[in-house]
Amino acid sequence: MKKITSKTWRKTSQIFFFLLFFLTVLQATYPFEPWLPPELFLWFDPLVALAVQIAGRFFAPVFLLSLVFILFPMIFGRAFCGWICPLGTVIDATDRLISPKKIGDFRKVRPIKTFLLVIFLMLALFGVQYSWAMDPLPILWRSVGVFVLSFGFLIVDMILNGFVSVGVFPNVVMDIQDSLSGYLFPVDMPNFENLVIPVLLFFTILGLSRIGRRFWCRTLCPLGALQGIISKIGLFCRKVDSEKCTACGLCRKKCKMDAIEPDFIKTEKSECVMCLSCKGVCPTNAISFGFDSPKKMQTSVDLSKRSFIGAGATALVGAGLFAMSKPDPNRTSEAIRPPGAVAESEFLKRCIRCEECVRICATSGKCLQMSLLETGMMGIWTPVAKFRSGHCEFNCNLCGQICPTKAIQPLELKEKQEIRMGTAIFIKDRCIPYRLNDNCIVCEEHCPVSPKAIQVDEKEIFDPISGQKRIVRLPYIDPELCIGCGICEEKCPLEGKAGICVVREGEERVPV
Amino acid sequence: MERRKFIKTSILLAGSAVLGSAHLFGKSTTFPSVVLIKNGKPAEMVRKALDMLGGISQFISKNDIVLLKPNISWDRAPEYAATSNPELMSEVIRLCYQAGAKNVIVLDNTCNEARRCYKNSTLEETAQKAGADVRFVRDNHFSDTPIPNGTALKSWPIHNAVFEANKIINMPILKHHGMSKVTIGFKNMMGLAGGNRGRLHLSFSQKIVDLNRVIVPQLTIVDAIRILKENGPQGGNLEDVIKMDTIIAGTDRVLVDAWSAKIFGLDPNKIEYLRIAHEAGMGEMDTDKFKPTQFVFKS
Repeated sequence: MKKITSKTWRKTSQIFFFLLFFLTVLQATYPFEPWLPPELFLWFDPLVALAVQIAGRFFAPVFLLSLVFILFPMIFGRAFCGWICPLGTVIDATDRLISPKKIGDFRKVRPIKTFLLVIFLMLALFGVQYSWAMDPLPILWRSVGVFVLSFGFLIVDMILNGFVSVGVFPNVVMDIQDSLSGYLFPVDMPNFENLVIPVLLFFTILGLSRIGRRFWCRTLCPLGALQGIISKIGLFCRKVDSEKCTACGLCRKKCKMDAIEPDFIKTEKSECVMCLSCKGVCPTNAISFGFDSPKKMQTSVDLSKRSFIGAGATALVGAGLFAMSKPDPNRTSEAIRPPGAVAESEFLKRCIRCEECVRICATSGKCLQMSLLETGMMGIWTPVAKFRSGHCEFNCNLCGQICPTKAIQPLELKEKQEIRMGTAIFIKDRCIPYRLNDNCIVCEEHCPVSPKAIQVDEKEIFDPISGQKRIVRLPYIDPELCIGCGICEEKCPLEGKAGICVVREGEERVPV
Repeated sequence: MERRKFIKTSILLAGSAVLGSAHLFGKSTTFPSVVLIKNGKPAEMVRKALDMLGGISQFISKNDIVLLKPNISWDRAPEYAATSNPELMSEVIRLCYQAGAKNVIVLDNTCNEARRCYKNSTLEETAQKAGADVRFVRDNHFSDTPIPNGTALKSWPIHNAVFEANKIINMPILKHHGMSKVTIGFKNMMGLAGGNRGRLHLSFSQKIVDLNRVIVPQLTIVDAIRILKENGPQGGNLEDVIKMDTIIAGTDRVLVDAWSAKIFGLDPNKIEYLRIAHEAGMGEMDTDKFKPTQFVFKS
């Protein structure tokens, strides 16, 4: 029988954690009855914990979980990257297809990741949380949760709809569609705005491996850098029996992290992800991994003092830029935040763009979208409610239940139903009763609050178009009752821009 | 039913209603076109109603495919009277299968998110338990359908199940509506329409009648067990809900709606779509002339 190699163990672990991650993402759907919290991996992410808590100047007990991956590298080095990180696993899988055989020499650029880590942490010190841009776990969450799953849904739905339209067992196929809808997907294909750039970034990360295996992990990943820095005091590491070593160089060729020095003996601790490939490939069994490696066999990649200062200066300039470039109030006045969002400045410090809220909303009211510049440079990809594509479901409070950093606070359903996301206003140049002197009141019909925030005033109006007098029901809004859920804006029967829209005026934010 | 015959039976039945018993007619082959049942439990009321209308076999034959259209439009619990009564519906499904129906399809084009409505109205679960084929409505389930004689609509996207089924049972709930004052059977058929349904609100009465020219239910059973008096059709406040323990059922869909409106407290003559439907020859609307056969359960 074939012996179970260390490689098998590693791959099993990678697949296990990837599937676990995938399952957590799948949980984020209506009806929300999770047996695994969708936020699980993000709570364990020390970069999320550091950046969000430092920038936001708060402490949340749930982030104590991330201490696991502060302590873990103290023992096992960067084994997180090699054995656990689900993005690392995806990269490993695509590397097989696209990476060159040669490892390539990119040693000079490796400190970039540490440089980036320092920038992100410094930015956090200055109150700017931007680590979401490169933190692998939020990146993977938004890529899988919003893009991969929906794309899968699109393909499956297209095929099934094809069966229905040509009449191949249409009833059976519709049953399949309905049961899929009951678990993974909403009934309609969700619509996502501004998804192109994040998806391009995701594929860029995978595509970087065209340069060399695990190029992202080696040179850019700030979470990898954090693991690397702590790994310097790691106990478990590679050691080489120099008497057995024939300097054949196979191990160095095999090392996807380029963590082996040209003498084949020394290992860069901050780079080695403990994949154990070198051990498997060594013809003389000279390589072993253990707790008692001699100190002289280990080196590490360090950031020079000058680079460190450079990173600090970059962060300072960056933070200054953000502070100076306040978003245009004309534009932000129509950017509506999810119900339960904390004050805008706090919101930006907390939101890590995992897009969990956007995904779960796509299975419910479908109003949350990734913003582009609606809330300014700082607010890129933060969730905003776009009511023309969906409404905030009156009986739904899922976005707050699911937010890993409490940028959207969890609210009881009753609280959420009373909190104001904004206020609806009529655009009387468009609204049918005002413009065409005809009855419509679709908005009034859908208004979920009781008594309705949209009321009608019956008036006799002279209609110059027909030259007749008519009784027209003119709708108006009681701003005291309106919660800005946007169902009126979505259901307005006009094509294009609605005759009623929700603006930020009167919005209520939840204290942190 | 021919009009003359219809009027004749209606008058006879109106007479019978005065006498307080439909049984006087014994095994007569004519049945009332509208019945009104009160004070019973939902299932027993609908059984009684169907008995008085001649039994379910009058409507459903062996191997029929039945489209049952309740109101599942809103994400509200049944108590809020925004959606049809689940017990009533499940009893009708059971009776259809008892009469030999091959399949009973239940669906609605919802206003809130479909899964929320199906789940929280409890209609999905009850219908499935009763053995119905509950379906979600998708965009590709609609076909643009010409409406012959349509005055405001010449064609509109109609759900394919309307044509897949050979029998349609309309099961609306009686409730307040800002547009038509009240929503009953005719309006409930909007749940089988697709497209930009908001557009139907312009010249609403005309369009709602046009839709009902191509979607023709053989039987309408109006749920007035709990009615929503204000803030309809969404509701959301239990104070607006009144317990009536009543159902109105019948084969004349205009008369059923007229009587339902009357019970709701409105003058049917002031409801525009009833007048248009009556003038289009779809049924009677004179509630003084055509009275329902009544049955009141003793509590």
